[in-house]
Amino acid sequence: MNLRDLLKPGPLPPAIQSRRRDTLLTIGACVLTAVGLWLLQAHTSGYVVHMACVGALFATLAVSYNLINGVTGQFSLEPNAFVACGAYVTALLTLSPAEKEASFILEPLIWPLSAFSIPLLPALVIAGLLTALMAFFMGFPVFRVRGDYLAIVTLGFGEVIRVVANNAQSVTNGPLGLKGIPHLTNLWWSWGLLAVCLFCIVRLVHSSYGRALKAIREDETAAEAMGINAFWHKMLAFTLSAFFEGVAGGLLAHLITTISPSLFTFFLTFNLLIIIVVGGLGSTTGAVLAAFLFTFGGEWLRVVEEPTRLLGWDIPGIPGMRMVIFSLILVGVMIFLRRGILGRHDFTWRWIIAVLGRGRTRS
Amino acid sequence: MSGLLLQATDLTVRFGGLTAVDAVRIGIPPGQLAGLIGPNGAGKTTCFNLFTGRIRPSGGKLEFAGRPIVGLRPSRINQMGMARTFQNIRLFGELSVLENVLVGFHGGLKSNFLSAILRLPGYVAQERRMHRRAGEILELVGLTRLRDEPAGSLAYGQQRLLEIARALATGPRLLLLDEPAAGMNPQETAGLASLVRRLRDELGITVLLIEHDMRFVMKLCEHLTVLDHGRVIARGTPQQVQSDPAVIQAYLGAGEPEGIDDDRATDA
Repeated sequence: MNLRDLLKPGPLPPAIQSRRRDTLLTIGACVLTAVGLWLLQAHTSGYVVHMACVGALFATLAVSYNLINGVTGQFSLEPNAFVACGAYVTALLTLSPAEKEASFILEPLIWPLSAFSIPLLPALVIAGLLTALMAFFMGFPVFRVRGDYLAIVTLGFGEVIRVVANNAQSVTNGPLGLKGIPHLTNLWWSWGLLAVCLFCIVRLVHSSYGRALKAIREDETAAEAMGINAFWHKMLAFTLSAFFEGVAGGLLAHLITTISPSLFTFFLTFNLLIIIVVGGLGSTTGAVLAAFLFTFGGEWLRVVEEPTRLLGWDIPGIPGMRMVIFSLILVGVMIFLRRGILGRHDFTWRWIIAVLGRGRTRS
Repeated sequence: MSGLLLQATDLTVRFGGLTAVDAVRIGIPPGQLAGLIGPNGAGKTTCFNLFTGRIRPSGGKLEFAGRPIVGLRPSRINQMGMARTFQNIRLFGELSVLENVLVGFHGGLKSNFLSAILRLPGYVAQERRMHRRAGEILELVGLTRLRDEPAGSLAYGQQRLLEIARALATGPRLLLLDEPAAGMNPQETAGLASLVRRLRDELGITVLLIEHDMRFVMKLCEHLTVLDHGRVIARGTPQQVQSDPAVIQAYLGAGEPEGIDDDRATDA
């Protein structure tokens, strides 16, 4: 049987009638995930838990980045700036005054920030809002251009933020970075953020606004002629994705507990870009899937760097080998699945049930 | 207030040294089936682009429903009640037929994105109404059967109809059709003519169309404006225009009056 036929769903049930069923299935899936996380927390090592947190944060980043790049079709390269902004703002708000005084050895932290600290939740909300505000002001110059130029302008902004972080000694502590950030991010924070982010972005994409964003991707001139103000809709996608990227950045800071400008170079953006392209530009479920494959795949591939005995051959461990294999996998994906794992499709309950239903009728 | 729905006065646009539209004066009263004809490169589509705000005129005035529209965004002009189709079809190819029509309603949406995310009752009611009206529009143009197909997979003539359906969803008072019959077979063209007439008679929509199929234009339109080299060379009823020496000159260089009809009908 042809693989493509298998992916095509059979006759679909009427959409309206299946809505309630979909809601129940989604709630069920959330409960199952929560139980799974609880088991993970109780029965596995701290390392697995850490990776699950990283995976969820990268999934959040990928899903929000995909909103502007995949759904709206505006090829931008700035998420490292937004993650950095969120990370620094949250860290500066939660670090205790004593900790700040100890960290800022070259130049003291400017006054209001040096005197107080607040709990994580309000800090994350403030970080998200500030990042969204930054995206909002960035949007005015950025969305004057399209296509390749948009990519270059946003790339520039990403670099600007990194350079600012490196040089604004009295706010960011420069290249020394911030140390001793409390380790507050756990499974619940990271997966909770992923859930909220998915809820908002999936709902938005499946609303009239989502259709407008996709229309802009397909043909901006036609969308504009059909009464869609392309500028404000791009702004909406941009600021919303910045909000979630900022919050995810804040949680990332509280997961790895030390941040410095070198963490937020273009490579962060580059990794996210790989994730959303491999997952399928425009596919939210593809972005989630690829984010976890990327996070865990990198760890599983460590096996190839260990010395092994295969079919009577002794293979010495070659450091760096996993990056070679990783690149080969990427090349393979791009050759055989040119539009990513899921293309522009999404896993939907309708689709899953249709595929399972076909399996049942055949056996 | 002139009572005209669309009024262009001395509308001019220059691209470098080329004057694509030269002091064009067009007035369309509400409820008219008007046509804009002329040889290739006469500036017809440029006129549409000027009316809909896609390009800015170098000079002249443009009023829609008594309000100046020069310098407004295309989306704003559309929301004021002017919708168009494109000569080179510009559908949202990967979206379904139904979604293409639904996009047309988005400009009139009165809920912000937060109520859309939270599915507040106000938004849900509007979404329902959009779906119902999109169904009605698809029924009107005869594409109901294809509602879940990707727009890009439709046959050429059906894509043209879908463009009209999408434009109708924006709730226009004036509909600009850019070569709606191009690429259609005779049956489809006849169906299109009766559709356009119904839009005017039953929905009260004013129509301005560009078309090269002269048989279609002469049968359907009540008033024609003829452009050549960016200038209006004739205007009037189809009969008046057909016998105008300047028009014959423009289309054929020089020749028999009856030449227009056959020549354009066969090549379109």
